[in-house]
Amino acid sequence: MKKYLGPLNKENPVLVQVLGVCSALAVTAQLKPAVVMALSVTVVCALSNLIISLIRNTIPPRVRIIVQLLVVSFFVVMVDMFLQAFVYDVSKMLSVFVGLIITNCIVMGRLEAFALSHKPLPSLVDGLMNGLGYGLVLVVVGTLRELFGRGTLWNIRIMPQAFYEAGYLDNGLMILPPMALILVGSLIWILNRNPKNAK
Amino acid sequence: MKKFSNTYIFLYVGGLVTVIALLLSLAAIGLKPRHEANLKREKAVQILKAAGYDAADKADAVRLLGEVAKPKNNAAGREMYDIRCPDGTEGVVVYVDGKGLWGPIWGYVVMDEKMSEIKGVTFSHKSETPGLGANIAEPEFEDRFVGKKLRDGDGNFKPLQIVKGGGHSDDPHGVDAVSGATITSRGVENMLSQSLKEVMQ
Repeated sequence: MKKYLGPLNKENPVLVQVLGVCSALAVTAQLKPAVVMALSVTVVCALSNLIISLIRNTIPPRVRIIVQLLVVSFFVVMVDMFLQAFVYDVSKMLSVFVGLIITNCIVMGRLEAFALSHKPLPSLVDGLMNGLGYGLVLVVVGTLRELFGRGTLWNIRIMPQAFYEAGYLDNGLMILPPMALILVGSLIWILNRNPKNAK
Repeated sequence: MKKFSNTYIFLYVGGLVTVIALLLSLAAIGLKPRHEANLKREKAVQILKAAGYDAADKADAVRLLGEVAKPKNNAAGREMYDIRCPDGTEGVVVYVDGKGLWGPIWGYVVMDEKMSEIKGVTFSHKSETPGLGANIAEPEFEDRFVGKKLRDGDGNFKPLQIVKGGGHSDDPHGVDAVSGATITSRGVENMLSQSLKEVMQ
């Protein structure tokens, strides 16, 4: 069991393996798109892992990357269509980044490193955990950026009005892309500062 | 490692592609009604926002639009509506469309009855650069158009100028451009002048 929990901590795909950073920076200006993106990647990662693992013995090794891409693209396009149908506003905010899940190295990485050589159930759990590990970072960064950049969470005002009357100002830098990089960098530093975490 | 023949590889990938294409098509057909309803609602929200309605209640936007606006025929065949604004005045909505830097941009302009002053605008875009050109769809930019004049002293159509680093708020024919997005801003200027020219008498 312990080895499956790695992505949430010592083997976090974003903070330790530094994968999937592009979308982690792009969609975290607010909590809501960050959560939807996290769920999308988790669904895509878990289901592609499951499917690839189910058909792993039939995949010709020479075209395995093509087969993986086909399966990943299928789930990504599905997720994109469902988002457009059911949460249209969020899908507009995420714009191209849903489509770009196809190129997210976390997904392809897990297919290559795990699903091709493991049974379906462990693969499903592995994909799920890696998706959640990615999502965890998105939610933390999204929370910090929305709270300090806009004073809201999930578009609900959190910072009390009294703060603003006392001279508190939202930090506009938090919403801009550079601050996402600084925050993710800080998280990477916090997680890797303990040498015991280093493998 | 097992050996796979070329025939197997071709059939395998071909079969997989066919199955996936079939499933995606089915999903696309199944979700189409919902998707179209979303687009219709989005359009209603855009028009209502430009007219000054608080469009927070999105679920209700289509019904509300049906109540306050009715389509207006015009020689140019452009999408137009007569609309009753929340402050009780009458207005005219014109659909405008043009090209940005990367793709189409479009929007709705709400003017007073004589089509001489802008009451509000909303813009949308397909793929302008986030943080730069995409800012044309932000309220901060859209608000700059409120109160701008579209006709000169003789009542002739005078297109708005979207000025880089200028467009003082007291200039009735000039609007401050989006900084860092020269081509998108020019696209907005062309879109407004060309689309509005068609419907101005």
